[in-house]
Amino acid sequence: MQRSDLKSEIKQLLVAELNLTGRDPSSIEDDAPLFGTGGLGLDSLDALQIAMLVEEKFGIRVPEGDEARPIFRSVSSLSDFIGAARDAKAGGAPTG
Amino acid sequence: MIVITGLGAVTALGSNVEETWDRVLRGDRAFSAVTLFPADDYRVRLVAEVPDIRKDGPDDFSRTSELGLRAAREALSASGLDAARPKRIGLVVGGSTAGMLETESTLSVILSPEGTVDPEVRDEALRRMLSHPLSAPTDRLARELGPFVRVRSLSSACSSGANAMVVGATWLELGLVDAVLCGASDALCRVTLAGFNALGALDPEGARPFDRRRRGLTLGEGAGFVVLERAADARARGKDAVCTLLGWAAQAEAHHITNPEPTGDAPSRAMRAALARAGLTAADIDYVNAHGTGTPLNDPMESRALQRVLGDEVARVPVSSQKGQFGHTLAAAGAIEATITATAISRGIVPPTGGLEDADPECALHHVRRAESRPIRAAMSSSFGFGGMDTVLVFGRADAADRAAPRRSRSVVVTGAAVLTPAGIFDGHDVAKVPERDCEGDAIGYDLTAELDIDRARRLDRTSRLAAIACGRALGPDSKDAGVVLGNAFGAVDGTSAFMRRLREKGPRLASPADFPGLVPSSPAGHVSIYLGLAGPTLAVADLATSGECAVTQGYELVAAGETDRVAVVAVEEKSTIVDQVFRVVFGPDKRDTSRGERPLRREGAGAIALAAEEVAIARGLPIFARVEQVLSWWNDETTIAEVTPPPGGAKTGAVVIIGVAGDANDALLRRAGWGDCRRITCAERAGSHEAAGAIAIAVAAGTLASDASIEAVLCVGIARGSGYAIRLGRYRARAS
Repeated sequence: MQRSDLKSEIKQLLVAELNLTGRDPSSIEDDAPLFGTGGLGLDSLDALQIAMLVEEKFGIRVPEGDEARPIFRSVSSLSDFIGAARDAKAGGAPTG
Repeated sequence: MIVITGLGAVTALGSNVEETWDRVLRGDRAFSAVTLFPADDYRVRLVAEVPDIRKDGPDDFSRTSELGLRAAREALSASGLDAARPKRIGLVVGGSTAGMLETESTLSVILSPEGTVDPEVRDEALRRMLSHPLSAPTDRLARELGPFVRVRSLSSACSSGANAMVVGATWLELGLVDAVLCGASDALCRVTLAGFNALGALDPEGARPFDRRRRGLTLGEGAGFVVLERAADARARGKDAVCTLLGWAAQAEAHHITNPEPTGDAPSRAMRAALARAGLTAADIDYVNAHGTGTPLNDPMESRALQRVLGDEVARVPVSSQKGQFGHTLAAAGAIEATITATAISRGIVPPTGGLEDADPECALHHVRRAESRPIRAAMSSSFGFGGMDTVLVFGRADAADRAAPRRSRSVVVTGAAVLTPAGIFDGHDVAKVPERDCEGDAIGYDLTAELDIDRARRLDRTSRLAAIACGRALGPDSKDAGVVLGNAFGAVDGTSAFMRRLREKGPRLASPADFPGLVPSSPAGHVSIYLGLAGPTLAVADLATSGECAVTQGYELVAAGETDRVAVVAVEEKSTIVDQVFRVVFGPDKRDTSRGERPLRREGAGAIALAAEEVAIARGLPIFARVEQVLSWWNDETTIAEVTPPPGGAKTGAVVIIGVAGDANDALLRRAGWGDCRRITCAERAGSHEAAGAIAIAVAAGTLASDASIEAVLCVGIARGSGYAIRLGRYRARAS
């Protein structure tokens, strides 16, 4: 899958699963911060939900704690993480 | 002055107070892998399980009720009150998910795919769902330990046990009982273990409160109970008190459904209010029993709150938590920890924080690593629950001087009302029109999101949305100090079913962290508090078909006793596919023919009223709909109904009876009250026959008094199984001062 498709899939997942009713997935900027003010305004409970969804939909385990922070920065960083983990999987490398 | 004359506790450390206390002092940790259900695929399996609890009993048997029964029996026996029982004794039981461990097995049958389960087995499972309403453990305790004159089931998540004592204390202060057995009980189950795992809140090595390496809590189970009575009554029967209950405060953070407000500001306000209530300052406190869960967020937040409240005294006052020993017992925590704090005071021994080795500099407190003998004049115990429900209790020595300012029962008025039915949203005086307005169908079809700021309401489930709309309309603007009381008979049935289905089909790793907090029965009350920014006491109560009347009674008590100036009371019935199936099996298919204009009886709906102390309503210029003239509540003794004041000016003039659901039992009751011949309005035909019906009826009563000058008084009555309520509202006239 192209990274741009992956990004739009992530955006749709966020809107549907985090009940961001009334928000158009395509209006979410790739690099807008997911957490805190100035972005989607998500919080740590949403981060846990996203981690669970990534494991469910993509079969990829997101690391816990501080390691997860840069992954959850934006749609782009999430997409990079998922893409890289998929590539590694395809190449036979362990994904953890 | 209120004293404690009996203690009871069951924990993973011991089957009574003495055993638990001895092992707490030794620093024992009772953690091992859960054995109650197969848990190989749970990330963290370490729990604090109570050994040797039987697995079955009467129909409504649950592990939660069994634990509660043991601790309550111990407390009652220690108080010496159980023998002759010459007094009016009350019972208050805090809980969270009640018989969830047993309900999980029932749900696994109900949720099995079509065709895999014999229909008869499935119907039997649906019938069994009714054996475990949220009030079931309370009912069992009342049955086996009663009689009691007044009974209450409440939940405020992890502060339930502490709030049970707040309610018990207000009953004594309002003169409703002469003694009260209060506490809480909670058993381990799949839902909570999966949910806390999903939240990443469990420490794989066992909870280490205040430790630098702490990674979370460890789930425990158990029960704690105390007997409270007035000091003079205990003295009169020659009973030595264990200690005194000097002060208490229940408040809400209005911040987040799972995370504490990080500065500790809200808990520090509750601590200060509890100390002020006791007439004490930080200099009088010699021990703090902390909430101290061991989660990365709680412990620094609580430390900051304690640093603020204790000020310079923080280096002197020892602080400890036993959650690293018997785990976080959730609803029961505040009650079990009250028994620990009471024992610490009576024996002059400060218990340690088991599991603490390397104190976190973020938690700069006077920690206790080994039990220390030292006199304790007064001690504070804190409990914080999901939804930001903070409760703080202050205990003193048995011979403590009474320094609290005297209180009197306050006059209470209704300042607003709102009702949601499939026919629409009614508020203000229009609420009176609910019984006239016809509606199609049994579910609310209009768009609830149009009534809400949808960004802030995205975490609210349907019940919480209905409750938030109703409470917001009933309270009106400028209500930040109000509390919330939710009436709720069964909790989040469909939410729990969805969570369990996912757990079965996808395993605990994929349990939803965002959905889990919604399964706590007090969650909608927490959501209302967060959404509307309300900082008063926030809790849920349960009493089957009279959950609405029970909530109004609870809200009235909180305002009358001065626990809050204002409160929103709400009961909600959401459209539930599981509840519909249960009712189909138990009561048969709904036979009314909707094609001929007959309407389904169970309807989605919500009813809310706002209550305020009369002096506060006047000072703030709030609209006053009615005066709350009488609130009666009883348990298995309907003669209480005779205490209702007869209708003003005879039965035929100016007095109306408004009831949620009509029934033969109501007729007899109303005749006994002298209201048998009054005009009667029943809300069920339009608003639905369900657990919220009583709250809808009382909202309609307030709207009727506000809008129809010919009506002087309205009586609302409700009865369900053993309990009954009679609430009389009257036309408001300012009293000559």
